[in-house]
Amino acid sequence: MIDSADNNGGAKAPEATGVRRRDFLKVLGAGGAATAMLGCGQEKVEKLIPYLVSPDQTVPGVSTYYATTCRECATGCGIIAETRDGRTIKLEGNPDHPVNQGALCARGQASLQGLYNPDRFRGPMIRRGGKLEAIKWDEALRLFAEKINETRRNGSAGNAVFINQHEAGSFGLFLDSWLAALGMPAHISYDAEADHAAITANKQNGGAAWPVLNFKGTKLIVSFGADFLDGWGAGVPQQLAFADARADYKNAPRLIYVGPRRSLTGLNADQWIDCRPGGEIAIAKMLSGALSPAQASQQSGAPQKALESLAREFAAAKPAMVLSGAGSSDLSAIAATLNSAPAGNGGYLGFEGIATAAEMRALAHRMSANGVSLLMVRGANPVYTLPKSVGFEAALKKVPYKVSFSSVPDETTELADLILPDHHFLEQWGDAEPMRGVLSLQQPTMDPVFDTRATTDVLISVGRAEAATAASYQYPDFRTWLIGRFPGGATALAAALPKGFTSGSIGYAPQARALPAVQTTTMDQTHGSMYLYVYPHPLLGDGRGANKPWLQELPDPVTKICWQTVAEMNPATLTKMGMANGDYVTVKTSAGSLTLPVLSYPGVQRDTIAIATGRGHPHSGRYASAGFNPLDLLPVSEDRSGAFVYASTKADVTKAGGSTWIVTTEGSSRQHGRGIGQAIGIAELGGQGNEEGVGAEHQKSGEKGEEMAGDASHEFLPGMRAPVANDAQGDRGDQASNDKGMYDPKHWSGMAKRRWAMTVDLARCTGCSACVTACYAENNIPTVGADWQGGKFLPDRTGFGANITRSREMAWLRIERYYEGGEDGSADFDTRFVPMMCQHCGNAPCEPVCPVYATYHAPDGLNVQVYNRCVGTRYCSNNCPYKVRYFNWFGYGEPGRAQYAFPEPLNWQLNPDVTVRGKGVMEKCTFCVQRIREAENRAKLEQREMQPDEFTTACAASCPSRAITFGDAADENWSVTKVAKDRRAYHVFEELNTYTAVVYLKKVLHSAPGAA
Amino acid sequence: MATLSRPVPATEEKMRPNIASADVQLPAVRDYEQVDREIVGTLHPTVAWFIGLGVAILFLIIGASAWMYQIYNGLGVAGYNPPVMWGVYIITFVFWVGIGHAGTLISAILYLFRAGFRTTIYRCAEAMTVFAVMTAGLFPILHLGRPWKFFWLIPYPNWRYIWPQFKSPLVWDVFAILTYLTVSSTFLYIGLIPDIAVLRDREKTNPVRKRILSVLSLGWRNSDREWRHFARAYLFLAAFSTPLVLSVHSVVSFDFAMALTPGWHTTIFPPYFVAGAIFSGIGMVFTIIIPIRKWFNLKHYVTLNHLDAAAKLALFTSLVVGCAYMTEWFVAWFSGNEAEKAFFANRIWGQWWWASAILYTCNMVLPLSLFSQRLRRNTTWLFILSIFINIGMWFERFVIVVPSLSHEFEPWQWTTYHPTWVDYAILCGSFGWFSMWFLLFIKQLPVIAISEVKEIVMPRLRTAHAHGTTVSGEHQDYEADTPGEHD
Repeated sequence: MIDSADNNGGAKAPEATGVRRRDFLKVLGAGGAATAMLGCGQEKVEKLIPYLVSPDQTVPGVSTYYATTCRECATGCGIIAETRDGRTIKLEGNPDHPVNQGALCARGQASLQGLYNPDRFRGPMIRRGGKLEAIKWDEALRLFAEKINETRRNGSAGNAVFINQHEAGSFGLFLDSWLAALGMPAHISYDAEADHAAITANKQNGGAAWPVLNFKGTKLIVSFGADFLDGWGAGVPQQLAFADARADYKNAPRLIYVGPRRSLTGLNADQWIDCRPGGEIAIAKMLSGALSPAQASQQSGAPQKALESLAREFAAAKPAMVLSGAGSSDLSAIAATLNSAPAGNGGYLGFEGIATAAEMRALAHRMSANGVSLLMVRGANPVYTLPKSVGFEAALKKVPYKVSFSSVPDETTELADLILPDHHFLEQWGDAEPMRGVLSLQQPTMDPVFDTRATTDVLISVGRAEAATAASYQYPDFRTWLIGRFPGGATALAAALPKGFTSGSIGYAPQARALPAVQTTTMDQTHGSMYLYVYPHPLLGDGRGANKPWLQELPDPVTKICWQTVAEMNPATLTKMGMANGDYVTVKTSAGSLTLPVLSYPGVQRDTIAIATGRGHPHSGRYASAGFNPLDLLPVSEDRSGAFVYASTKADVTKAGGSTWIVTTEGSSRQHGRGIGQAIGIAELGGQGNEEGVGAEHQKSGEKGEEMAGDASHEFLPGMRAPVANDAQGDRGDQASNDKGMYDPKHWSGMAKRRWAMTVDLARCTGCSACVTACYAENNIPTVGADWQGGKFLPDRTGFGANITRSREMAWLRIERYYEGGEDGSADFDTRFVPMMCQHCGNAPCEPVCPVYATYHAPDGLNVQVYNRCVGTRYCSNNCPYKVRYFNWFGYGEPGRAQYAFPEPLNWQLNPDVTVRGKGVMEKCTFCVQRIREAENRAKLEQREMQPDEFTTACAASCPSRAITFGDAADENWSVTKVAKDRRAYHVFEELNTYTAVVYLKKVLHSAPGAA
Repeated sequence: MATLSRPVPATEEKMRPNIASADVQLPAVRDYEQVDREIVGTLHPTVAWFIGLGVAILFLIIGASAWMYQIYNGLGVAGYNPPVMWGVYIITFVFWVGIGHAGTLISAILYLFRAGFRTTIYRCAEAMTVFAVMTAGLFPILHLGRPWKFFWLIPYPNWRYIWPQFKSPLVWDVFAILTYLTVSSTFLYIGLIPDIAVLRDREKTNPVRKRILSVLSLGWRNSDREWRHFARAYLFLAAFSTPLVLSVHSVVSFDFAMALTPGWHTTIFPPYFVAGAIFSGIGMVFTIIIPIRKWFNLKHYVTLNHLDAAAKLALFTSLVVGCAYMTEWFVAWFSGNEAEKAFFANRIWGQWWWASAILYTCNMVLPLSLFSQRLRRNTTWLFILSIFINIGMWFERFVIVVPSLSHEFEPWQWTTYHPTWVDYAILCGSFGWFSMWFLLFIKQLPVIAISEVKEIVMPRLRTAHAHGTTVSGEHQDYEADTPGEHD
């Protein structure tokens, strides 16, 4: 048995990678994806055939980068897609792009898993006898054209409806002209995530639909449920602006969050005022002077003392920014009058022209009244994202013919009759105007993965087939149409593409829509005593991310829950109800009831039960079925802006009996005085006048200056190397020896002259977790939470997240979220987000205990893990105080196993520079060693020295808060060396003498004026 | 004691070597012939033995199947909860290594100390040692992520010039365990040679068996010269094994003590582990020897006096271990180390209170009953207590391995531990494996050392001799060719 296992385990892994590499070449050689799907056999003997004529811009083993535009939300960030051998393997923010300036959120990065989603439609499908069957494009297009023709013939073209997943760009313009040419009404651009109350208020105040939030210069931010760090509006740029404003900590605005639940924005706030859902408006009225704090406290359920101090502070703080994201137009109107912050320049145009929930409900009414002859839908998933009470699903079933252009199956395509799958946005042409005057370009970054077609091209071909419109569709494809509109034509476009954006305008302003009669209701108080608060998941959004395992596995930044939907309740309320974490509760409203496990979360108001949307998809693919959909609990209730009101009902909450495992990555939520996430009061820092990161005072005190309490000792800095290196250099060992080996700074390899290091600024980090997804993407980290990856093998834990309940997540980089204070159950607690990765200790406890030298110290300071050498004793992990080593409990990288984490074609995303680890070996953060070596080799090939800040790690590159800096701490010219000298710097567990290479900068606490 | 032997006359006491010979004589054993007959007579297989062996093999098959399942699917099928990266396998490894300590202690150290009560139990204890170490040796391989690469821990010449990391306690383990296995099995075999010769001589029916036995007995002919060499070799091996008793478990304790982990990083571990190992080994000796003396009708060989003396040793080691436990508490408090203090609080009053309670009850509290002579001489109680000691010692290792890893420096990574059926199956398999070997041993080779028993049995008196016709506790003059006497 051992022998045969040896053959499996020993030989499979390298062979698998070898075959995969050959596959890359084969794909390109054949020029098609289908070949690659056939070429995955293990035993087949294949030949390496060099290219006779190499494909354009393709050098094997060298990446090509394409600038394009992200379509995961309405913002429209610029991205750079790294493409290797014809496959897009990594997305990063476009550093020059005015919207996101190089940062990219977790959702944007995970769009790769939309591209390579194993559940994507392979080609056009038709529903026959209730089942979807594959058909040929010719036939599918003919059917579609016939349907259009038929609709036009019987005069019902005016009743056709096109619902598009909202995107900012000229597609809307193109689509509307196509629809108009066929006599059909303009399309409905739908985005369930849009906050219409805020958008409407913004527009009524004469601004852009979504303004640029100008945090800098404000003294106080009061957020009424405005989760600008959770994906409320333009996520990445807002986070960048917030982090920048807060990093200038002397002038940083204080953030007060008012709402029933501390979201990620709430946890980043300096103070949380907990109120009941819907109670925000009373507090806003108090700020405007209409109510006294006592009245506001009584109406909102917020503590009166906190309100009094809020009123005092607000009166004194000018300018103050007041944001309303609670989905109420009344609140938004008051907030607008309270706001004294100067408006930011321009706004985000991507939020224009989004259909409201009221409009969708009106459409549902039309459909059930048989008023819709043909429904076309692209990307949008209204069946899931609209609460059941809206009745969209039942209404949709009444539409005689439904055509879907979605590229992934979802609840809406489940009802479609014909599916003409669109390209993923990374496979097609397009553009966007995210900000006024900025034209962001979208280009294909690779050949289509499947037999899909760009909807634009489908529309063109149908337009050409229809006699009445044939004349206006003489161009072959959408790209030609785009070029035709681009000032300067093809040459100018080709010149602009590498940059990814240019100045210009699409010249498309979506028409203002007439709002149908809205159905407002007051809070349904008839049920129970708890307020139901359904909120959008910060990572899965309205559910569109649910079939991407990265996003399912990425712990919610707030609750740290993955793969599971839980009902969050205040610990005090739980105790009162005699329940504990993991017990099942039944939540019942007039619209429905749901039984789900309960999670104790101190950031929920005591009378509130909070549930995140996004999970529990019956038809969205294999990963999306995890969890529940709380939208089913919501009765129809609309704001006067037409927005759906998510906090509109109370619910009966009863103990359901039984309990389950909470799928969380959290161990203890408290630091127990270990000093992992440290903080320093602004008062302590104030008056020093040193700019963030420069550390002027430290420089003054000289090289060996007095150590301030909590200061990093900088032992790893130049001249003070790791004990391992010191020993090898003879500093501590044999002085007389000439053999100083690789650790000699004068060694010809030059490795030992560097010390790779990282700083993490906790004052900037918001805990958004984009870095974690970046790490998954860069380092081929398997996701392990799917049901079949663990449930079957751990009979005591079944269902999604079985492995996670055993703490077996593989995240090399995790964000620890600790609470400070509030042990008494009060709302007054502070949160520390600590990104924790391998600290690359100079004196690493993991190194001497490995019996086979699988982990050792590289001369450039890296703590190296050699997968091939690892036998899996796991002693290194036992001895790691930071607990950042992860073990391959199963063969996550072996195709054919139930636990395989990269089912075809997800494996296409794998980074060829990084090994896919085999079963039974340890792995951990490498400081992106492949990027280090690539940069070194590049410098060597170009016969130059490496430039300071020439490259960075995946996590640092993605960070939308710019909290992570990476570089060579032995060279004064790298930013990391300067940042590490900040007086806020400290090492975690310095007392253990590990000489870590990661320096944390303390979080800065902004206490209320007068409260310090 | 007085019931079985006569008090030694005070005048002769000074002349005696320091052995409790008065307590360990075998008054019910009349002569050498009886020894040969009765002990060789235990070798006949019985139905009960076959059933026992069948059960042992069944357990072994269950364990082996679970291991195959684990090798195929990965270690994830076992109940690891990172950062609890070590679990049942390492616990069971240390458990069996510990058991393996009593044998050498009894056969070697007590031999050097001339503790007479060892005579009748040492063979059994020594066989137990070898099989326990064989069992223990499986676990470090079994717990590897890639068990098929276990040989990378062994320093062998290879073209990659890669050696093991000699700083790693796991490499020390490899040496310690292999050395211990080699020496203890050699010691067992050397001691067996005269007994094998007895078997050879008494084997009349089966020529194949006779042939094997004669090869194994190395042609033993019972000559003076052979006895002299034998006694020298035995003494040498006893002296050689003695430091191993202390070193092997010290090295095993370094697996923990060399780590930073709170609860592991402590200098008390080597003596604490050695005492615990001897304690657990004696517990296992009781578990084995009490049924054997009953079922094999050897009560007049393994007398209550022997058990009484061994029970005193168990009591002593229990007190040592208990003292170590209390020292640990003290050090956790005295160190002022927050992580250590928090870990200890969690171990004793927190999530692992039940495991600690089992441990303290079985290892510290219940053995105190051995202060009572009546209980020391009550075989039923000794057997029950020995089971508790076995359980307690397994939980001692559980309490060392799991609570430490589950409650380390990083609170975010605090976790718990739940073994799965694979862990339990492999744990059962280890008992099956051990029992299989032991059961095979007791029906092939004498479970009581024939030659050594003869040393304390009254010699066959020559008719010419006028004295010594009564059984007494007094020293008897052996026949001229009695081994070892005139060296």
